[in-house]
Amino acid sequence: MLFNSYPFIFLFLPVALLGYFALGRLGNLAPVIWLALASLAFYASSNWQFALLLLASIAFNYVVGLLLISARLGSRLRFAALAIGVAGDLLVLGTFKYAGFLAANFNAIFSTGLTVNILLPVGISFYTFTQIAFLVDAYRGNVARYALPHYALFVTYFPHLIAGPILHHRDMIPQFERAEAKRPDAHLILCGLIIFAIGLFKKTCLADGIQPLVALAFGPNTPSFDQAWIGALSYAFQLYFDFSGYSDMAIGISLMFGIFLPLNFNSPYKAVNIIDFWRRWHMTLSQFLRDYLYIPLGGNRRGRVLRYVNLMVTMALGGLWHGAAWTFVIWGVLHGLYLCINHAWNNYGPAIGPRHAPAADLAAFVLTFLSVVVAWVFFRADSLPSAITILSRMADPTQIIFGRAEMIAAVFVAVYAGIAWFGPNTQTIMGYDHRNRTVGEALGAWRMRPAFLYAGAAVLAFGILGIQQHSEFIYFRF
Amino acid sequence: MIRTRRAAAAKNLLRLLCASGLIMLMAAALNFVVDPLQIFRPARLFAAMYSQDSRMQNAGLIRSQDFDTVFMGTSLAIHFRQSDIDRRLGVRSLKLAMSGSNSHEQGFVLAAALARGAKRVIWEVDDWIFCDAPDIEANVYLPADLYRRNARGVASYLFSGAMARESAWILARSIPPIEPAVARLTTEALFKFPLSRVDDINTISPGSNVSEAYNANKTRAAFAHITDPVGSRFLAEGYDYDAMVRNFERDAAGLIAGHPDVQFDVYLPPYSILQWVAMRDASPSTLKIVYDFTAYVARRLTQFPNAKLYDFRAIREVTHDLSNYGDVIHHSPAVDLKVLSWLAAGDYVIGRTAPTASLDQLKAQVEAYRVER
Repeated sequence: MLFNSYPFIFLFLPVALLGYFALGRLGNLAPVIWLALASLAFYASSNWQFALLLLASIAFNYVVGLLLISARLGSRLRFAALAIGVAGDLLVLGTFKYAGFLAANFNAIFSTGLTVNILLPVGISFYTFTQIAFLVDAYRGNVARYALPHYALFVTYFPHLIAGPILHHRDMIPQFERAEAKRPDAHLILCGLIIFAIGLFKKTCLADGIQPLVALAFGPNTPSFDQAWIGALSYAFQLYFDFSGYSDMAIGISLMFGIFLPLNFNSPYKAVNIIDFWRRWHMTLSQFLRDYLYIPLGGNRRGRVLRYVNLMVTMALGGLWHGAAWTFVIWGVLHGLYLCINHAWNNYGPAIGPRHAPAADLAAFVLTFLSVVVAWVFFRADSLPSAITILSRMADPTQIIFGRAEMIAAVFVAVYAGIAWFGPNTQTIMGYDHRNRTVGEALGAWRMRPAFLYAGAAVLAFGILGIQQHSEFIYFRF
Repeated sequence: MIRTRRAAAAKNLLRLLCASGLIMLMAAALNFVVDPLQIFRPARLFAAMYSQDSRMQNAGLIRSQDFDTVFMGTSLAIHFRQSDIDRRLGVRSLKLAMSGSNSHEQGFVLAAALARGAKRVIWEVDDWIFCDAPDIEANVYLPADLYRRNARGVASYLFSGAMARESAWILARSIPPIEPAVARLTTEALFKFPLSRVDDINTISPGSNVSEAYNANKTRAAFAHITDPVGSRFLAEGYDYDAMVRNFERDAAGLIAGHPDVQFDVYLPPYSILQWVAMRDASPSTLKIVYDFTAYVARRLTQFPNAKLYDFRAIREVTHDLSNYGDVIHHSPAVDLKVLSWLAAGDYVIGRTAPTASLDQLKAQVEAYRVER
């Protein structure tokens, strides 16, 4: 089931909300169980067999987590339990996500004719990472004992289940345990609905609106210089509005249930360097990779050279996490390289005087954005050769068409760039503060500014009107 | 304080929902009045505009156009002009061809057109349309409910933001002072209804360079592509004789048998000889399936009193002249006109007594053909 679908908006969400708050009158546990069951139904609606896999994964990790939390085990046994838990998770993820990729590479090297076709369970990367984090924290002694319904809801919670944000148990389970969250709060529902509306608008109007232009670069025909740039830029904006739209919707839906989800985007295309970009783009993944991969690898504690190695390894694996293809690995490696250059520049580069700071900032902003767009070409292309072809066209200004269609498309892209670069982001508009659990503190002023409310209504209406029959979220594939 | 804030929020929530509902109703009203697809009525208040998205546009054409003959097919039939069909065959035609369509889509759309009173069907049939013909309800590209004009289809049409944008654009194009400016800005990259004449839907514009699009070099390049080790894998994709026969019986034979008062002129189009040679060289098992399947189709169609089968596949002067093609199958507009002439003259009709005679000719040609390297 998609957030941008009529059955979800007009049936599933209202029923889930009504059931949650109705059961909230009966106690603190019933709504949690209801929401976990609703989340399972949400997941099973696309493929019930994968729901069984999800349940098995929850049971496995919960049991391993209990063993780790239990003080009775010795340190070696605890480590063994952690190793079995993480290995089990990675084995399942590897089987479903990477077996075909490994077989294809094996086949390419040894010409064995081996093919593996396994359907990828939606959201498996997200719920696997979420639970690995839980196991590692349990091993480190940073986890209290959670009740099974709360743990199950933490993993299955439908706003995040398919495409994140990647949640942390320490952030979420205490919220699920709060009794206040089970009582309907019109303020949170209103704010949640507006945030959802903004996300829906981003997805159905902005991301889906620019999607046809992506084919200029990534379509069947070899693009010209201008077409390649228009297509690559269009994809950069499509991906941003698609994924940040999804994250906004997830945050908005969750807020209606009284649960604050972490932010996942913070105007990433306003970044002035790559380090800054990764603090703004898919923030929960960045935090996960930092806490559970980069730092355990040694982070920056073992000298500069190893720091760069760790960065490259982290980003390459981060690329591979997005998809089982060499294009994703190259994308990750490229970003690893960017980060290394960025850190090296910070350490060894010349200091910029205040007089030249504005020009340097502008140059850094442009360079960062272009670097990100170049990397997106690998992320989007069907294969490495087609990525190289597109990039070579982007570097060859001798082949220009720039007819009427390209001119109009360029204007279209410029409008999107204007929104991404100069527009306020959702959390700024709504005053969403995840850490302090506040949102819409300026709500009182809305009575004086009905235009804001009606703008929200228009955004919701256009978002719903923009729903198309065949429009999946890009990050569903990961 | 908190209670007051919550009460205000509840009121605002209600306002927001009502305002959203109102805006959606306004969009639906706009779509109903302008009616870009002409689902409810032929265009009168506003200038008629047409889309190249034939799966969507056909739902409106079937409702709004006067026709006695339907022209169906895949991309092989998409560039035909209705005016040419009308002139050559003396009919009032409606072209409903859809690029990449399968037999189930074609059968479904044809059934909708026949329900509107068409008396003749001219049907360009490719073997591969019967390979994979999934259920029409699972087809996200064909708005089946809009063809049926049921509540779901009408609601999805009226409450569509994309359609409201088209409606607003058509509305703007109908305002005389701004019409020229709007018309200049109309491009298919942004608007789905750029055409003002139904005859222009999916045709090759008069100004385009036909010889650049259709020439022997392109045909040979396409042949090289589909016979290389990677491309040749796709030649066999989806070919399963039993499944093809099942789909044929359901989507073609069933439709013909169900409409005894309608004349079906089915034709097998003139692919370049390289299409067959590619299969011969790179996937002989696929070629055998196609031969067997089309033999079955020929035997089966000649049994129907209301069906005629034309086989244009072995017309050497066309199929061996590679300059007629843009790849190994898609022929030029000049061949479009030849097809219409053959249909008008009743040439190359398969007889009941020898349903595989032309197939045997084709087999001999394919066997004998040697590719220039």
